[in-house]
Parts: sequence; C-alpha cells; structure tokens
Amino acid sequence: MAAAYLTHQQKVLRLYKKSLRHLESWCIFRDKYRFYACLLRARFDENKHEKDLVKATLMLKAGEEEFWTNQHPQPYLFPDSPGGTSYERYECYKVPEWCLDHWHPSEKAMYPDYFAKREQWKKLRAQSWDREVQQLQAETPAEGPKSEALPPARREGDLPPLWWQFVTRPRERPM
Amino acid sequence: MASRALAHCMRSVARASARLNHGNMLTRSACAPLASNQRALSAVSRGQRTRWTDLVRISGPSVHLCRRYGDLPPLTLENIQDRVMYVLKLYDKISPDKLQTSSHFMKDLGLDSLDQVEIIMAMEDEFGFEIPDAEAEKLMTPEEIVKYIADKKDVYE
Repeated sequence: MAAAYLTHQQKVLRLYKKSLRHLESWCIFRDKYRFYACLLRARFDENKHEKDLVKATLMLKAGEEEFWTNQHPQPYLFPDSPGGTSYERYECYKVPEWCLDHWHPSEKAMYPDYFAKREQWKKLRAQSWDREVQQLQAETPAEGPKSEALPPARREGDLPPLWWQFVTRPRERPM
Repeated sequence: MASRALAHCMRSVARASARLNHGNMLTRSACAPLASNQRALSAVSRGQRTRWTDLVRISGPSVHLCRRYGDLPPLTLENIQDRVMYVLKLYDKISPDKLQTSSHFMKDLGLDSLDQVEIIMAMEDEFGFEIPDAEAEKLMTPEEIVKYIADKKDVYE
C-alpha cells in the first residue's frame, strides 16, 4: 500500500472481489456462479460513473452492509491465504541467512564458490549500509514512517535501502 | 547363422541406444559381452531380454524429474507465461490478436479496473494461490503478472 488510507476506488474494488469470492462459495455450480457474477458486475457497472463522492460513499456503505448480511459462513479460501489450511505452514523452515555464517568450516568447504560470492555480497552490503541509513533518515518524516513501503534508490549507482533483507529473503516454499 | 544375424541387429540397436542414453552404463556394459559372436542362441536370447529391460530403464537424473508423487508439473517461466496468456485469451473482453505480454490492461486493451480485478481472480483460480489486494492492484500487464507469480512460486529466482 502506498499510503495508510485506501482510496474510494480501492475500497470498491475490494468489495467487488470479496463479494465475488463469497458468491462463488454460495453458487457451487460454475454456470450458475457465472450468471450471478454477471448480474453483480452489471450492478457495479451502472453506478460506476457516479461523480458525487458523498452519494458514492453512501452506496459503498450500503454495499458493505449487504455483503455482511449475505456473506458465506465458510467461504472458499486458498490454502496459502490467511485462514487457509497451509497458511504459514512452512514458516518454521524459513531459516534466516545469517545462520550460514555459523556453519563449520568443513561444511562451508563443501560449497566454496557460493561462500566466496557471499563474501563479495557482504562487502557490498557493508559499503552501502551507511548510505542506506542516511537516505532513510533523510526521507522519513519526524513523527515516524507513514507506511511500510520503503523508498527506492534516489541516486545513480546507489542501492535501495534495506535491500539485503529483500535479496536474502527465504524461499516461499523451503526445500 | 540366425543367431549371428540377431546378434548383429542387437548390436546396431544397442549402439544406437548407447548413443542416446549417455548416462546409462548398464546398456554399455550389456553391449560389451554381446559384441563377441561366440554366444549360444539361448545366451543371445537371454542377452536380448536383458538388453530390452536395460533399454526400458531410465537413467538417474530423469528419474528424479519424473517422480512427482501426485504433485503438479514443475513450474517454469514459459509455462507460467503460456498459462497466463491462455487465460487472458479466454476472457471475452480481450481480443486475442491484440494481446501481447507487454500490453497494458487499461491503456492498450481499454479495460476497466473491475475487469482487472476479474483478471486477477482468474489468475488466482488458475495458479491456486491468493494474490493480496495491495499487490493485485499494481499488476497491469501480463508480464508483471508472470513476474509476480514467478516471484511467489520460487521459479528461477
């Protein structure tokens, strides 16, 4: 998310998506679901050119209330989504990368070229760390950061701030 | 006479198969004893049977790739792109001839934000995992969708 608050368009789109998902949970046969999904889309389409924001917000509120009364008690969730069966199942196997530094030298000797490359990356990180901290300190407002998004690299040849954590993040499905 | 002809045929087949299965030491080891022409007919037929079973056996690395234990085929970048383009071509508001990997949904194809939500939902259904709203609203070209899915599924990181 770019800012802390959602725009009206974002709220409408989120309502559309979750109402379609709950509709899919209610109408299990695909052709029936397609029919009612087209009707729902027509209802969203007829009001989409509303210019008055007050009216649009009132319509959004009515839509959310209608969604709340008509939602499915056990909607279909994908396994990896929050509330699904395999959500955060592999989280315990996602080892942080600093554990590689604690390997025994005999274990490290089994992958010499990887660890050689890793030394170069760590040198790069040590070099760019001060500039990253400087950039973050310059760009964060006084009270604190407004959102979780990190700013991109501003100057040529500079690396974006906190790039190390992003580059060395564990796989989504650890082997 | 017949045994010599059979052994000659087997040798030529084995030579061809030895050229194909480079990693299969068993065929090459089975080729060597049968190169000599002094076997009895029963021995040749035994060798023939072992030859065919050797040909049927697959070499080491491809066994690991074949064993899936009921899982889906492994994802590759081209595979993901093919599936994404296939789903997009099935969508009725997009004409398949105008569609390319870099065509922007709103600017090039003239779609709505509601259409984009529907497209992202179709992608979620195709690949079987949820794309959160915050990141879904930023995916505006098929190329970005392919990159995002490859990122989430650890494909050629």
